[in-house]
Amino acid sequence: MNWKRNGRYLLSLLISVLLAFLVGALILGITGHSPLKAYAAMIEGAFRNARNRGDVLEYAMVLALCGLACDLGSRVGIFNVGGEGQLLLGAIMSCQVGVALQGQSPWLVYPLAALAAILTGGIYALIPGVLKVKVKVNEVITTIMLNTIAASVCQYLAKGPWKNANKNMVAATSGLDVRHWFGGLIPGSNLSTAIFAAAIIAFLIWYVMQKTTTGFEMKITGQNPRFARFSGMKVDRKIIVCMTISGAICGLVGMFRVYGAVHLFRAGVSKDYYFEGLMVAMIARYQPLATILLSLFFAVLKIGAQGMELVGVPNQMYLIIQTVIIFFMAAQAGFLDLLHARLQKRRSRSKSGKGAASHV
Amino acid sequence: MSEFEKALSTVFSVGTLQQMLRSATPVALAAIGGSMTEHAGIMNIGMDGMILMGAFFAVLGSFLAQSAFAGVALTLGVGLLVGLFFGLLVVRYRSDEFIIGCAINTFAVGLTSYLSRSFFGTAGAKGNPALPVLHLAFLNKIPILGPMLNDQSLFVYLTWLIVAVAWVFVYKTPYGFWLRASGEKPDTLRTAGISPTKMKWIASVLCGLLCALAGAHLSLGHLKGTFAENMSNSRGYIAFACVIFAAANPAKAYLAALMFGFFEAIGLRLQGYISSDLTQIVPYVITIVMMVYVVVRKQRQRKRTAKLEGPASA
Repeated sequence: MNWKRNGRYLLSLLISVLLAFLVGALILGITGHSPLKAYAAMIEGAFRNARNRGDVLEYAMVLALCGLACDLGSRVGIFNVGGEGQLLLGAIMSCQVGVALQGQSPWLVYPLAALAAILTGGIYALIPGVLKVKVKVNEVITTIMLNTIAASVCQYLAKGPWKNANKNMVAATSGLDVRHWFGGLIPGSNLSTAIFAAAIIAFLIWYVMQKTTTGFEMKITGQNPRFARFSGMKVDRKIIVCMTISGAICGLVGMFRVYGAVHLFRAGVSKDYYFEGLMVAMIARYQPLATILLSLFFAVLKIGAQGMELVGVPNQMYLIIQTVIIFFMAAQAGFLDLLHARLQKRRSRSKSGKGAASHV
Repeated sequence: MSEFEKALSTVFSVGTLQQMLRSATPVALAAIGGSMTEHAGIMNIGMDGMILMGAFFAVLGSFLAQSAFAGVALTLGVGLLVGLFFGLLVVRYRSDEFIIGCAINTFAVGLTSYLSRSFFGTAGAKGNPALPVLHLAFLNKIPILGPMLNDQSLFVYLTWLIVAVAWVFVYKTPYGFWLRASGEKPDTLRTAGISPTKMKWIASVLCGLLCALAGAHLSLGHLKGTFAENMSNSRGYIAFACVIFAAANPAKAYLAALMFGFFEAIGLRLQGYISSDLTQIVPYVITIVMMVYVVVRKQRQRKRTAKLEGPASA
């Protein structure tokens, strides 16, 4: 492990977080709120009672899995922006499996629903994966388009053929059998037994990425595909497989949201949660362990921000702080690189005299 | 009249075409901005956030000064700042443009919703001074085309001008030539004594300004002085699709935006026959198919030239 690099990263992260909270305080001040009171309400909102703490854990689970799905792709050099669509499709398909098997044993429903979520999420990620590898179409663009397509299809299904019959809900599917709900761990909160499955998945991803030869080969594939190809690795297959697994995980997140918290499908199953997980992965530099730890931190912020509403502060402060952290980290890295390059230039100039420098 | 003919006649009516023009304009303005960054070799997926901020600050300015043009002025100022900020991170600090683009989109949702709720109390603002609608009497003398083009918001007409200027700028001026070179062959441009970095900066700022205008048209023109949370509604991504579709040609991007506008318009009109959620999908599918086609054609061309040049080049 590279302690010097990790130390520098941690320092940059800490500074960025502090600065982001300062920017947040500035915005709070301008809009007439007391920053201290608002931040106190944020901490209280995240930890006040068992229900809040449960919600924090549930949201951390969603962020961590989405972030890890993104890590998997980016490790082999494919950027999965389409997790939101994969999540929504996984959610609606697994929900529909549950609705169709109403009254059946949960032990029949869970595997089938999980299979449906994995298949839809995986196949939906397979499309941009294959297009990237075989045709060399940029995956960012295709996944963004596929996100909107998935959201529209889900909206259509929830409004039309699979519409909830007995309620006057505008766009929601029928609810799940109560027997099929994942067991709640804390009454009133969204936390369910899904978190155990999520923990196993997260551990597996971390283990494969950090501790196995496959993980090492993935890294080479992402960093230097030409070298990977010359040393006999199946680069194309690796990219496609990683992208498919990434999509399958997103699909499972959709299932966890439906079976654990929402108990039917509506658009609120995910409010751009994948994009928030993506931000966490970016801040974590696509490192699995950092992604998991930072998910907890951002879940505290997110649930805490809902507590800020009690003192009249809009909860969107959370999004502002999260993105400002990214801006500061990007700016810091860029600034230090420029400084480094400039110093090196000066050093080489003083070493080799003026003649050499004029060429640079 | 059969059911099908009835559907057909609702689709191809003056109203549809008018609606098409109206919903295409904000997308088109952003797409022209996106064409600039695309030519400079920056893949800008942050346009959605830029439009959203443009829409909010236009309404805020219009609300504070009780004048739509003050709103446009304010939002252009903010658009300039956003463009400079984007340039600072992506061009100067060389951050990943996807990361910054994603972050700008999320930041814009957070900032505009937060400020909107702080300034207007509720989740949005309605009934602020809007941009004027132009009525040109002579246009009505032209059948179909006249009524379609007439009585549109000011920016619909302004966009035509901007398309023309942007096209001339990109393809007929040295600046446009350098802009394209800064993305395609930055080293060659540097050898010619022109800084590609500078062209990328210019592209970022132009994109910021045009997206701000797109937002201003959306809130002050299209929706007549209204701001609602998240009102850009993925239009930035549609604009992005237009840029890809049009290979960053501003004129073609405008046509692509018209196609998206057309599908939005017929979606609303065909609701009795087919869900608008499904008609909405069509342009996205077309974009993906189109991209595959463009890439495959390019590869085939490259192969053909390689074959023609044969061993000489090897």
